[in-house]
Amino acid sequence: MASTENRSEKNTRRESIEQFLYRLLKEGKVDAVLVPKRHPGGNIVSPVLISEPSQIKGTDPLAPVQTVNAASIVKELVKEPVDKKIAAVLRPCEVRATIELIKLKQLSDESLLIIGYDCPGVYNVKEYMHGIENREDKEAFTEEHIHDFLSGDGDLVRESCRFCTYFTADSADVDIAWIGVEPPGIIVAARSEKGRRMTGGMNTGDKDAPTVRKETIGKIEARREKRQKSGIDNLLDLIQPCIRCYNCREVCPLCYCKECLLEPEKMGYTSERYLSRAERKKQIRMPVDTLLYHLTRINHMGYSCVSCGICEQACPMDIPLGTILHVFSKKIQSLFDYVPGRSRDDELPLTTFREEELSEVEDV
Amino acid sequence: MEQKEGSMDKENRAFEPKIIAFLCNWCTYAGADLAGVSRIQYPSNIRIIRLMCSGALDPTYVIKSLLEGADGVLIGGCHPGDCHYISGNFKARRRVAVLKTSLKEAGLEPERVWLRWISASEGAYFAKTVEEMVLHLKRLGPNPLNSMWAI
Repeated sequence: MASTENRSEKNTRRESIEQFLYRLLKEGKVDAVLVPKRHPGGNIVSPVLISEPSQIKGTDPLAPVQTVNAASIVKELVKEPVDKKIAAVLRPCEVRATIELIKLKQLSDESLLIIGYDCPGVYNVKEYMHGIENREDKEAFTEEHIHDFLSGDGDLVRESCRFCTYFTADSADVDIAWIGVEPPGIIVAARSEKGRRMTGGMNTGDKDAPTVRKETIGKIEARREKRQKSGIDNLLDLIQPCIRCYNCREVCPLCYCKECLLEPEKMGYTSERYLSRAERKKQIRMPVDTLLYHLTRINHMGYSCVSCGICEQACPMDIPLGTILHVFSKKIQSLFDYVPGRSRDDELPLTTFREEELSEVEDV
Repeated sequence: MEQKEGSMDKENRAFEPKIIAFLCNWCTYAGADLAGVSRIQYPSNIRIIRLMCSGALDPTYVIKSLLEGADGVLIGGCHPGDCHYISGNFKARRRVAVLKTSLKEAGLEPERVWLRWISASEGAYFAKTVEEMVLHLKRLGPNPLNSMWAI
């Protein structure tokens, strides 16, 4: 196991991951690495595309902040085939969103190596900034967060993370596992043919091997499952503050349409229409169509939503979109026994069908 | 959809529901046409929008119809196996399942949305469907969303 080699030089899991990424780039297995890295200011950690091995220093995928769902960045990065190999170091929700995008044919993954890792969850960016701003030792903040994650998730952790049960990256090409591994050890495991080919010789074992890992994961899953809501009983009230700013659509990694039918010009908003609508209903809320907007998004994204909660973080009106999307999506996905991003082989629910199914929705 | 007359109150008896129908070009729309040319009488509560395929219907149009106050939405497609585009109707059924699931979870009324397979030769069945749906909606009463302005 990697944990035993060079232990004297390594102090944290972060550094172990750093070392693995350094070798990956240095040994020419990939030409560039997309990975969260601490910015010069010291506070914010966000995805950085690194092509020079020495610049791997300072990367910190475990830092408890997610500025964007990095699947959006991957989508932008490999929107067309490239002849360089790129490793993207992604949180499990980002891995799953990326796999959905591959299935939706929104990115070209021939030269993409998806590296996932055990995710300790994140704070909402405001809470994170508040917590880290005055800290001397920024790295210790990450370590403390990992400790909190293993012992019960802090109150300030993003709601979507507090109920997330997909915190291991089982569908990535390569998986960096550390839960249940003695720190600063990590286990690097290839999970796909491509992963084996591209990281040959760097794998350090079967991540499912340690029983303590299985037990720890089981415990975390159980406590998080308890936090999941089974229903939303007041959607209309919850979305009342919506100003239809489109932020949730903009940050959603899976909202991929080049032309959106919810755009104001597509919706045909003219002065005359507003007035005739106000006349018909006696009065009309402005901006209009917020419920239409959210229900449409739920219908369009629900089957692929990975519940990353980035929509909730982007909402200026603090609408609990992460919880809303999670509850709706779970019900929609269960219709088709579909888990987004679980596997590249599962067919997208709306591109396939069974002849004998769902007769309950036919009104005959 | 068997309905009992008895439970309908006076107000609802007078109420004439408005139905928006999204009908596929090859089957249900032709069925509606046949009902017309055969001079079959059916309620005039329905407003028909023709689509090339039931599978081409984006759920947003159904949602918009309901939010804007339509009392019911009828989605008509070809019988299973008869789709002009081979499987559009099966895919429509999946979309409708997603739509109804989301309406239910949102506390709206999924029973206002009907999906029916009506072929081009089933003019009488189309007329019967409209009759049934009008009766069903009269029992259900006016769409409460029609008087909600803060949505």
